[in-house]
Amino acid sequence: MKRIPPLVAKELTELRRSPSIFLPAVLTGAAAIVYPFIIAIIVPYFAGERLSDSSDFALATELFRSQPEARGLTPEGAIQAYIFEYALVLMVGLTTVTGSMAVAAHSVIGEKQARTLEPLLATPVTTFELLSAKVFGAALPGIALMVACFTIYVAAVATFAEPGVWLMMLTPRSLALVFVMGPLAALLGLQLAVCTSSRVNDARSAQQLGALIIVLPIAALQIAQFIGGVVLTAGMILALAVLLCAGNAILMSIAIRLFDRESILTRWK
Amino acid sequence: MSFELVPGEIVALLGPNGAGKTTTLRMLGGLIHPTSGSVLLDRQTVTPATASRLRASIGFLTETPGLWERLTVRQNLTVYARLHGLASASLAVDRMLDLFGIADRARDFAGELSKGLKQRVALARTLLHDPSIVLLDEPTAGLDPQSAHDVRELVRRLRDERRAVLLSTHNLDEVDRVADRVAVLRTRLVAVDTPAALRRRLFGRRVRVELARDAASHVSVLRASGINDVVVDGAVISVGLNEHVTIAGLVRRLIESGAAINTVIPEERSLEDVYLRLLEEAE
Repeated sequence: MKRIPPLVAKELTELRRSPSIFLPAVLTGAAAIVYPFIIAIIVPYFAGERLSDSSDFALATELFRSQPEARGLTPEGAIQAYIFEYALVLMVGLTTVTGSMAVAAHSVIGEKQARTLEPLLATPVTTFELLSAKVFGAALPGIALMVACFTIYVAAVATFAEPGVWLMMLTPRSLALVFVMGPLAALLGLQLAVCTSSRVNDARSAQQLGALIIVLPIAALQIAQFIGGVVLTAGMILALAVLLCAGNAILMSIAIRLFDRESILTRWK
Repeated sequence: MSFELVPGEIVALLGPNGAGKTTTLRMLGGLIHPTSGSVLLDRQTVTPATASRLRASIGFLTETPGLWERLTVRQNLTVYARLHGLASASLAVDRMLDLFGIADRARDFAGELSKGLKQRVALARTLLHDPSIVLLDEPTAGLDPQSAHDVRELVRRLRDERRAVLLSTHNLDEVDRVADRVAVLRTRLVAVDTPAALRRRLFGRRVRVELARDAASHVSVLRASGINDVVVDGAVISVGLNEHVTIAGLVRRLIESGAAINTVIPEERSLEDVYLRLLEEAE
């Protein structure tokens, strides 16, 4: 375990020197921040109508205002809070997962391509330590990006939305989503990326395959929330967190098995 | 294959491309595991379970320097010092930077270095944790003569420090200069011995005598006295030696037959001849 910190530090130093790897994730984060504002603030502003004038949001508003924290909100504020809170799922998922996976896929495949893996494998470092360092080295920037996006998001909600809406972004449910589910989903995505990159030759393949497996369920969850099919309660978040923890443990053991030192050394040229 | 590597010895692995030199080094370094047979380091078998611990006593210079190019020289070495759990990583790095004369390049990115400098950094990385076994995969490949000379000096110094050194190379001259023993591979171990012993075994001991005049007239005298392995080329006679035919006896007979001898030089076949003969025999 003591060999993980120097490897994580190495990963972060390398990333600092090639920030372009991170650019797609930053753009994704920016898009994820902007799109709920388009729905909740910009479109109603230019249309000259309030969201609360439409009956489409009536049921959602009613459900949302039944929460104790939302009782003080105006009808417009409740709809905005509903949109902004549910958009958090996509923002958290997209920024952490895409950000982390962009780094992870380049990390393992980059090492293979630069032929830096062999001297590393000749040290006492174990496969577990190596893969953990890869996963954490990629997760930390992803999580940092997500926290930055979340901070900007809350600040923007506080500035542009109805009074009190921003406080709905700081409920235990929202915070659990950001600080528990986000990192766990990122780790899951990363492990998938590491598993894939142990077996494929191209960083983009690893990234796309890993992203496909993890981003699709997040998008599905987002849609299910919007149409009222799923209500993410604190209990549900906790259950999902436990599932993600178990998934992470299983994936790490699979990744260790898939990371075949011998084929990496003998087949990679 | 079966051979031993002992402290204070340099063994060179020779063989054509694809002969298994790098694979052998990787097996010895615990990077890959043999499909059959075993590797013992300090009487402990290298297995997937023990490899991580045993790798701590091995320094492995890979075929390519494999430096992280976006990290500085110092950062590259520091990561490895910490991976080896060195108590004072910074001091160990400083020591290596001084030893390899790269202290002034410590802040340069590895990607900006010349091939020779990269190789020096890779060597510094290999020896950072003071390994007792050093595996070098083509350490002078692509280096300029001065850098190659420096590397050979270093390899000799490693032997003097009682480290066991296994060196894979295509450079036969280098092998002749530094290796105590040579192991020739061609997907199996063809031969392993000192270069001198291999020469004796394959070509025997020969002596080259240069006479003042044409040597043909003296051959019959030599053959009459039982010296049959004689090759004549103008004024030069090459004679195979054995327990019955010594240099002193040969010279005496030639003088007795009236030959005027200019020089007597023991013939030494090149390592290239030895290598090619061994590969021929292995086919």
